Amino acid sequence: MGKKISIDPVTRIEGHLKIEVEIENGKVKDAWSAGTMARGFEALLTGKDPRDAPFVTSRFCGVCFSVHQIASARALDDAFGANVPWGGTLLRNLAMGAEYIYDHVLHFYHLTALDYIDIMAVANYKGKDKDLVAVKEKILGLVKANDTFPLTPRYKPDEYCVNDPDMVIAAVKHYIDALSMNAKARNMGAIFGGRTPHYQSIVVGGCTQYPDINMVARFRTMLDEQAKFVNEVYIPDVLAFGTGPLLPLATMGVGGGHNNYLSYGALEKDPAGNDLVFPPGVIFGLDPGNIKVQPFDQKKITESVKYAWYKQDKPQHPYNGKQEFDLNHKEAYTFVKAPRYDGKPMEVGPLARMIITKNPTLLGLVKKGVKPGAVARHAARAIETKLIVDACYKWCDDLLDAMTKPGFKIHDTDHWEPPETGMGVGFYEAPRGALGHWIKIKNKKIDNYQAVVPSTWMASPRDEKKVRGQYEESLIGVPVPDAENPINVVRVIRSFDPCLACAIHLIDPKTNEIRKFIVE
Amino acid sequence: MSTSCTYDVPVPDEKKKTVILGVGNLLLSDEGVGVHVINEMMHMHFPPDIELIEGGVDGLRLMNVVVEVDRLIVIDAVKGGGSPGSIYKFRPEEFATHADTSKMSVHQVGILEVIRLSGLVGKLPETTIVGVEPKSVGMGMKLTPEIQSKVPRIIELVLDELKDSV
Repeated sequence: MGKKISIDPVTRIEGHLKIEVEIENGKVKDAWSAGTMARGFEALLTGKDPRDAPFVTSRFCGVCFSVHQIASARALDDAFGANVPWGGTLLRNLAMGAEYIYDHVLHFYHLTALDYIDIMAVANYKGKDKDLVAVKEKILGLVKANDTFPLTPRYKPDEYCVNDPDMVIAAVKHYIDALSMNAKARNMGAIFGGRTPHYQSIVVGGCTQYPDINMVARFRTMLDEQAKFVNEVYIPDVLAFGTGPLLPLATMGVGGGHNNYLSYGALEKDPAGNDLVFPPGVIFGLDPGNIKVQPFDQKKITESVKYAWYKQDKPQHPYNGKQEFDLNHKEAYTFVKAPRYDGKPMEVGPLARMIITKNPTLLGLVKKGVKPGAVARHAARAIETKLIVDACYKWCDDLLDAMTKPGFKIHDTDHWEPPETGMGVGFYEAPRGALGHWIKIKNKKIDNYQAVVPSTWMASPRDEKKVRGQYEESLIGVPVPDAENPINVVRVIRSFDPCLACAIHLIDPKTNEIRKFIVE
Repeated sequence: MSTSCTYDVPVPDEKKKTVILGVGNLLLSDEGVGVHVINEMMHMHFPPDIELIEGGVDGLRLMNVVVEVDRLIVIDAVKGGGSPGSIYKFRPEEFATHADTSKMSVHQVGILEVIRLSGLVGKLPETTIVGVEPKSVGMGMKLTPEIQSKVPRIIELVLDELKDSV
């Protein structure tokens, strides 16, 4: 029996992702991924008007709010029999495209880059660049004031950490620049979303807000600035890290996992929906030399609760899914169900999408020896950000073209009323991966609602056959030379951009120090 | 419940841009108190340089709001160990949040961290947090009666805060 360590990021927040690994001879021998918070917001929806669902589901999460809104609206489109006009699709895609840009940039710089650099190397910067000297002073000032949040890595830098002062200081500068870019990209989403966070304009049948030429112009101006950052900073940084100091991690394929990939497909580039930014598809057991993509069939999705704290049942299709908790279930170790496609655990998200679409840039990296894993995941995320930026330009042009033609429509008004009974599914490719919402309608009200989110696919526990989920499998064999410093485990899990709690963010300081500020 | 015209809304210095930001999760009863309060305040009339924003469950991404204002008043649920319905008022710099947040992912970055990150970008607004100790953070789209009954008082405190900063 190896040494067991537990990485539980829950310190302030009630419930999140906990990773437990068993280490033997400096490597991960076994792993368990656990969501420690009960979800089940779906229960809130039962009995409500189906048209409320996009707004309620948008409150599931503070990171991926709009993805739930769009998946929910699409489930309603399906159940109501609504045909979203091309104008409505374009507006939806532009609002969602803006979200992609800030989501991926934020993930790289603010949620993961610091796992790969030794931040203290800025102290050794000897250059004279004014901006970089200012960055150095800012960071050293924070260190001096003992206020290094959020730059201090939790784990000790290891041999893979970049410590070249010039590279590190440039990365930290980009970290700070990316904060500003992020704030700006947020405002982009609000142009067609009506507001942000929690867009208001996306409803069953299309969108509610007619565009005018100024909105498109504003969006394009902001897009220009984002495109410049993506093309000139983000992508070069990821490639410089991935093919430079991190190449050993990349070619080892640290964090690969099952090598099964799934994309539901999303983001139409033509009115018929034949050409998608992210095509749907399924790959079992990737062979990089001979990529075989199978068609996606939603009937093959099931969720197992064998190792989760739910009332035991055989694996169910999401239409029939239930949320009955059973905390006495002895084999359980998580609140996350185990989704399977054709009985197999799948990876969803940027790497899955870029492999399924056989993206030439990603395949070029594979030819250089990069294997599917943590580093490849960051590369795929950067590559697809550019695809989205390019698509946003196309959607702006298409929108200008469509809105100046007679009969321009953004909504299928004939299908606004809920059907007496019905069922529908809504798929979307969220930045984190394949997202599906399933709805059943009875007496014009919601009878059952289920969401299977990307992190459920990947943070999944074992299933009936005791096959591990993707996070768990991706950790097997990961080098952990020092059990006190499991930095590689963290790198692997963060490369998936995990998002589980989706909910609670109340201020909860560790101490009760706050009590002295009580007013009444 | 309508609160229009029942409060005396102060008029601040015109050059100062003020944002009153309500945050929280509407699906988790009292966790959404900031959202309920701000929605209630939306019925009131404010001068154009005071903006009311419902921030929902947003974490780090509220930075677009924070970096653009001079004065920020945040209304949020706060677990401070007091009895349910306790109201706190503090400035972020008045107590140090523990630094070990780097291991967390974005949705765990709370409003205090957003404010501190905004400092890295350059500008830090003068900030006050009006916090409310929740009774229940269980699933539900309504406040518990205990917290609901505090809403008018919370609004009064926020308006007092505006007066102080005029």
